[in-house]
Amino acid sequence: MRKFGMALVIVATMSGSVVTAQTAYAAQSSHDTNVYTQPAVSVAPKVDMLDCRGTTGDMGCGPGWFWRDGWRGWACYPC
Amino acid sequence: MKNIRAMAGGIAAAAIMSMAGFGYAAAQPGDFSTLPVDPNLITDSLAYNAAPAVYNPNGQAGIETVYTHRDGSRTITTTVLVLPDAQAATAALDGARAGLVANGTSQPAAVGSGGTMLTGMSPDGSKSVTVLSFAEGNTATTIEFAGAPKDPAPSDLVLELGRKQDTAIRDWQAS
Repeated sequence: MRKFGMALVIVATMSGSVVTAQTAYAAQSSHDTNVYTQPAVSVAPKVDMLDCRGTTGDMGCGPGWFWRDGWRGWACYPC
Repeated sequence: MKNIRAMAGGIAAAAIMSMAGFGYAAAQPGDFSTLPVDPNLITDSLAYNAAPAVYNPNGQAGIETVYTHRDGSRTITTTVLVLPDAQAATAALDGARAGLVANGTSQPAAVGSGGTMLTGMSPDGSKSVTVLSFAEGNTATTIEFAGAPKDPAPSDLVLELGRKQDTAIRDWQAS
């Protein structure tokens, strides 16, 4: 009888722990208040050096310049 | 001896002809043909075509030349008036600018004496107009740059041509 009582206590204790643990886990997973955000990535200002035609310049004008027949004749002019 | 005399005579004649020739080549009063500076000096060398020069425009001693861009969209009109003295030249600048630009903005230009750059639109609003005017001694000069409304003459081009014109006038005066 005494052994039976001890066994009953042990079983009750173990099952109680397990039941309690499951309940706590369930509560945590269904009421998650954490807000997950995308980690910020620092990006330096980006400058695309393109001429008026979206290329890197005709006739060797270079970025920001445009080859045309202007006041000085055929030459590189600022965009 | 005869040969020596003939040789000396030839040398003397050649010297006289050379001196007369040099004298004729130098600028004479009223010879304004060498005054206007061709804008092709500061372009790709073929951008502008010159119209025949007009001597003594509006009865005033001087010269006027119109240079037209090969695409027809831009003109540069150079007018150099020769007046009796420097005071008259300075006084003539205001009259020379009058009526060329509507609602323009004026700013000093480091060209000649009393250099001024006036930028705006033509009176009828159809063209952009920049007028550089300055005096140099007894001359009054205006250089008018006319182009499409959204294609005004770059100020660096205006000043560069103006300075070359000023130099040409001083050279002409010194000759």
